[in-house]
Amino acid sequence: MKSNQYSVKIYETRIDDEENFMSFFDTNYTLFKDHLIVIQGKLPKSIETYLNVKKLKYLHDFELPKGRSRKALESELSAEKAERAVSQQIAEAKVEELSSRLQNNLTVLDDMIRSGRELNIEGDLLLLNRVNSGATINALGNVIITKVVEGAIRCNGNFMMLTASPKANIIFHGVEVENNLLANKLNRVELKNNEIIITPVLKKEINWA
Amino acid sequence: MGIVIAVISGKGGVGKTTATANLGLGVALNDKKCVVVDFDIGQRNLDMILGLENRVVYDIVQVMEGDASVKQALIKSKVNENLFFLAASQSKDKTVLESDKVQKLVTELKEDFDFVILDAPAGIESGYEHTIEFADAAIIVVNPEVSSIRDADRAIGILDSKSYKVKNGEEVAKYLIINRIDADMVQKGEMLKSEDILEILSVKLLGKVPEDKGVIDASNQGKPVILDKKSLAGQAYLRIASRLCGKKVDMKDIEVANSGFFSKLSGMFK
Repeated sequence: MKSNQYSVKIYETRIDDEENFMSFFDTNYTLFKDHLIVIQGKLPKSIETYLNVKKLKYLHDFELPKGRSRKALESELSAEKAERAVSQQIAEAKVEELSSRLQNNLTVLDDMIRSGRELNIEGDLLLLNRVNSGATINALGNVIITKVVEGAIRCNGNFMMLTASPKANIIFHGVEVENNLLANKLNRVELKNNEIIITPVLKKEINWA
Repeated sequence: MGIVIAVISGKGGVGKTTATANLGLGVALNDKKCVVVDFDIGQRNLDMILGLENRVVYDIVQVMEGDASVKQALIKSKVNENLFFLAASQSKDKTVLESDKVQKLVTELKEDFDFVILDAPAGIESGYEHTIEFADAAIIVVNPEVSSIRDADRAIGILDSKSYKVKNGEEVAKYLIINRIDADMVQKGEMLKSEDILEILSVKLLGKVPEDKGVIDASNQGKPVILDKKSLAGQAYLRIASRLCGKKVDMKDIEVANSGFFSKLSGMFK
């Protein structure tokens, strides 16, 4: 597509008195001959012929695409700046709230997590009891469970420490962890360089009571 | 003022109704006044196991709706004058139960009886919730198998969250009956051990009942097995009923098969 762009000078006016108009245009003809004349309101026949004789380009009743004034632009800009500052504050507060929900947010529970129960933990979890078959724990943070796990664990934290029964379903960062690697003793499961590393915490099962 | 005990299991077919009938009769044999209530609306069984099916005139729904008084609906046992029975409706379903009506009935029964034993329906739906809602204690009946344990675990979870007592900051006492234990299978490691079940469910053990073919025949005849002095299951229920009445009865280890030298020897001379 081939196109050109011009900036055109426009003289917009309204006709109240035909004589006045014509004398005004006669005196300022040199100025107006390069302008586009826009006449709003009524356009009498005499003026129309006058404009044609003078070979002036004109439009009648035309709504011009006017740019905004500098003042309006300035106030708009400052309003936008203020708005941006406020939204940035809100975003920062949200990030802070989210990080405080994830960090420094430890849930300590001594409930037996029975079948059918579903726990959703936003921070870290320290559970001092069993997780029975048919129960689910979803944790965004770290998980430590001191008694045997027979249910399902979904952990997305940096590490988890638990003992799993063969019935358990342990998923760490979306990866299923083999139950027999977690059997009979407390194990530490962590993510290092995109690799899941399992290390037994103690050689024997410890008695927490 | 008596105590209200709900007999629950989660899973069906583990022997809830049989346990209810035998425990009811068992505490009655201990000279306690007892009423057993069938809460399994729409699928009533307890009347048959107690041998009272031909005596049912009014049922629990009619009492709760005010169509009959509690006195009219209560059926006296043929075998023990301390035992009474309140039948479930066979035509309605579980949705007819309403909390305030259940509470009214249970409170009324509590005033007249030492023991009010409620036979809960299987499952964890509204019928189950209404049964446990106003219970002071629950007896959980399980079989030594994983599906029964998991369902019982779920039922206990609901008991711990929906019971009236728990909602008011108190605790519901929970007791466990392990039913249908086969000593041979436990010894071979094919059946869950009691210790493991107690570990998983973490409730107090009330008693263990061995597998006993006599139970089916007893149910069919409408004579609870507890009346059969020779039956192993009957003896087990007697011990459990005595424990319920506050007597100290030692746990009998029924998980060791009764096939020792002496029993074999005695078998030879039969």
